Amino acid sequence: MSMAASWTGTSLWRIQASRARALPGLVVLLIGWELAARLLTDAFVLAGPTEVLAYLVEDRALMARALGETLTNAAFGFVIGNVAAIALAAVALAWPRAERVVTGLALLVFCLPLVATGPILRVLYGPGAGPQVTLAALAVYYTTLIPLLVGLRAAPSSWFDLVRSYGRGRFATLVHVRAMASLPYFFAGLQIAAPAAFLGAMVGEFTGAERGMGVLTVQAIRALDVEMTWGLATVATAVSILAYIAIGALGRRVLLDAPPVILAAPAGASRGRLAAWVDAGLVTLIAVGAWWLALLAFGLNPFFAKGPGDVFAALVLDDDAAETRAALAAALGETALFLIPGYLAGLLAGAGLAVLLILVPMIASSAMPLAIALRSVPIVTTAPLVVLLLGRGAVGTIVLVAVMVFFPTFVASLHGLRQAPGQIMDVFDSYAAGPVTRLLRVRIPAMLPAFFAAARMAVPASVLAVTVVEWLATGNGIGSLMAISASLSDYDMLWSSVVLVSVLSALGYAAVGAVERRILGTYAPEQLA
Amino acid sequence: MAPETPPPRIACEGVTKIFAGGTEAVRDVNLTFEPGRTTALVGPSGCGKSTLLRLIAGLETPTSGRIDIAGAPPSETLRHAGLSVAFQDPSLLPWRSVRGNIELALQLARQKAADREVEDLIDLVGLGGFAEARPAALSGGMRQRAAIARALATRPGLLLLDEPFGAVDELTRQQLARDLPKLWEARGTTTLLVTHSVSEAVLLSDRVIVLTPRPAEIVADIAIDLPRPRDPDGLRAPDAAALIDRVVAALSEGMALPDRGIAAQ
Repeated sequence: MSMAASWTGTSLWRIQASRARALPGLVVLLIGWELAARLLTDAFVLAGPTEVLAYLVEDRALMARALGETLTNAAFGFVIGNVAAIALAAVALAWPRAERVVTGLALLVFCLPLVATGPILRVLYGPGAGPQVTLAALAVYYTTLIPLLVGLRAAPSSWFDLVRSYGRGRFATLVHVRAMASLPYFFAGLQIAAPAAFLGAMVGEFTGAERGMGVLTVQAIRALDVEMTWGLATVATAVSILAYIAIGALGRRVLLDAPPVILAAPAGASRGRLAAWVDAGLVTLIAVGAWWLALLAFGLNPFFAKGPGDVFAALVLDDDAAETRAALAAALGETALFLIPGYLAGLLAGAGLAVLLILVPMIASSAMPLAIALRSVPIVTTAPLVVLLLGRGAVGTIVLVAVMVFFPTFVASLHGLRQAPGQIMDVFDSYAAGPVTRLLRVRIPAMLPAFFAAARMAVPASVLAVTVVEWLATGNGIGSLMAISASLSDYDMLWSSVVLVSVLSALGYAAVGAVERRILGTYAPEQLA
Repeated sequence: MAPETPPPRIACEGVTKIFAGGTEAVRDVNLTFEPGRTTALVGPSGCGKSTLLRLIAGLETPTSGRIDIAGAPPSETLRHAGLSVAFQDPSLLPWRSVRGNIELALQLARQKAADREVEDLIDLVGLGGFAEARPAALSGGMRQRAAIARALATRPGLLLLDEPFGAVDELTRQQLARDLPKLWEARGTTTLLVTHSVSEAVLLSDRVIVLTPRPAEIVADIAIDLPRPRDPDGLRAPDAAALIDRVVAALSEGMALPDRGIAAQ
C-alpha cells in the first residue's frame, strides 16, 4: 500500500525496460549504505549490506520458512483482492449509476486502518492465516479497481459505435473492446498490487500470527536486533521489487504497448454538488447497514463485535462518552502533528525534486528507474529501520510518512512534467523562452493532474504509515490507542477509532479531491470533462 | 457477389436532430435513396452531414421526423447487421492486425468469410503485404483504407461512408475511385458517401445532395448522369466540369443563406 498512489503515474515501461540504467544508482546506494554502516558501527542502528548478507546466510532456514509463509498468504490475498476488484468493476460497468456508490464504499473500506482491523480480524478468525490473507486482499483491491475502472472506459467512442453499427450490444462491447482496452491498466494495477499484498500479509502477521516475516519483524524490534531488522527489511524490499518487476515483465509480454498515464478524474467531476452529497449519504447508509447486517448474520459475540449502535452509544450516549471522545481527540491530535507535516513534506519533496530533476535531464533519466523500483518497496516494512535510525520521537514518524508520500508523488510528478505536449513546447521554443519560463508555463501545469492523483491516493497511505509506526514503535497517537485498546479488550474504543480513522481518511481524500477540482478547472479542464 | 442483405430503399421524412446542448445539426430533411444507387452528401465542414449519416445508421435517433429503411426503422437494420459504416476516424482496434480488424466485422455480424475473400479485400484497398501489420505501423491513409475494407467485408446492403478518403494520398484515392464503385455496383449496394470534396462526390456517385451550413438543410439535389466506369481524369470533360460547377454554385448558395454561413458571420 506504500504504493497505493503509484498507479497514478504508472508504468513507464519504456523507461523501466532500460532499467540497466538503474544499476549505477543501485551501486551507489549499496556503497553509501555500507559506508554509513561502517561509520555508525558504535551506534547500533544500521547494519550494512555485508552484515545483512552474513545474517541472511546464517539464518537462511528461518528466513526461508518465514518468507514462504508470508508469500503464501500474500498470494492468496492477491488473488482474492483482485477477483473482488474485477467483480466490483463489473458491477460499476453493468450499472453505471451505481459506480460512484461502489467506488465510495470501496474507498471507505480501503481507508480502514489495517492496524485496528488486524486485531479485530484476529479475534474473528482465531488462529491461522485468515487475518493475513484478508489484510493482503484489502491492501490490493482498491489499487486494482481504480485503474480497471479507468481502463474499461479508456476507448474512443467510435470503437463503441463500430460495435453498435453491427447491431451488437454491451456484451460484445465488453468482449471485443473494453476487456482488451483495459488490460494495460489492469496490469498497471496488478503491478502495484503485488508489493501491496506482501505488505498487507506482513501487517496481518503483526497481529499475533504464529509464523511469517511479520512475526519475525515484531520479534526483531522487541529484541532491538539491528541485523535481523535490517535483514528482514532487505528481504521484504527485494521481494517487493522483484514482484513489481515480474508483473511488469509479464505485462510487456502480453501487451502491445505501454499504457498511457493513468489518471482517475477526481470524483464528482462531472456531476452536481447535490448528487455528490446524495452519493455520500448513500455510501454512509449502505456502509452502516452492511456493518449491522454482517454482525447480525454471523451472530458474533457482542463483547468484541460492536455494531453501529454500540459505537454511537460509546461516542455520544454512554456515561463515559465524554471521556472516550476526549481520549480519541487527544490521540488524533497527536497523530495529526506527525501526519500533516509528513504528508505535506512528502508532497513538497516529491514534486520539488521532480521539478529540479527535469531541469537536469541527465540525472532524471537515471534517477527515474531507481525511483520506480524504490516506489514498489512497502515503506511500512522499513518502519523499524526509520525508528532505529531516527529514534522514537516525532522526527522518525514524520520522516516515515514523508517517505511514504514521497515516492509515488515523485514518480507521478516527474512523469507529468515529461508529459508536457511537444507542440506547445515548440511554440515556447520559437519565442526563445528559457527553461524556467517553460517550466512555469507548460511543464508544471502539465504535471498537476498526475500530482493531484498521487496526492489523493497518498492520504490513506500516509494514515497507514503513521498508525503502523505509532503502533510498532512510538506509542503515541491513534495508532497506539488502537493497539492498547485491542490488548485491553476495550472494544468500544477500538471500533470507535476504526470508524473515526476511516471516515477522516475518506474525508481527507475528498478534501484533496476538492482542491484538485478547483485547480484542474483552471489548468487542465479536460481532466474534468 | 450478391450482398448478404438486399440493398434497401431509404426514406427520410422531416428528419430533425437537436442535440442535448441545443445544437441543431439537421433540420427538416426529406430524402429518398433508391436501392443500389450511390449518393453523395456534400456540405461545408461541420454542417451536420455526418449527423445525418449517423441518423440513417441508427447510431443517433432523430429529434423529430422518421427514417425508414426497407420498411423498418434503422434500429431494425442495425439489429440484422444489414449495414456497415466506415467512420471518419478509422477506429481500428490497435491490438488487432489489419486482417484481425476486418475479421472483427465478420465476427460482430456473425458471418463467416473465406480467407481468400478477406485477402481480396485487403488487395482491393491496396494493403496487400500489410495484412498482419498492426494499425500503429500504418500511415493515416492506410488505416482509412483498412477501415474501408472492414466496412465492405460483411457485404452490407447499405454502405455508409463518412469522409472515407480524408487522409488517403492522391494517387491511392484515384485508384480507389476506380475500384470501389465497381465493387459496390457488382454487389448492388445502396451507398451513402459523406464528403466535402466536390470532385470526389461527382466522380463516385449517381446523385449529389448539397447541404447548407449547420443546421443541414437541402439546397440542391443534382443527378450525376455520367457514364460508368468513370476515370478521375474524366472530370476535366465539359459535362463533368459543368456538374462540378453546379455543385459548387449550390454550396455557395447555401453559404449565402440569411441565417448561416457567410451571412451569419
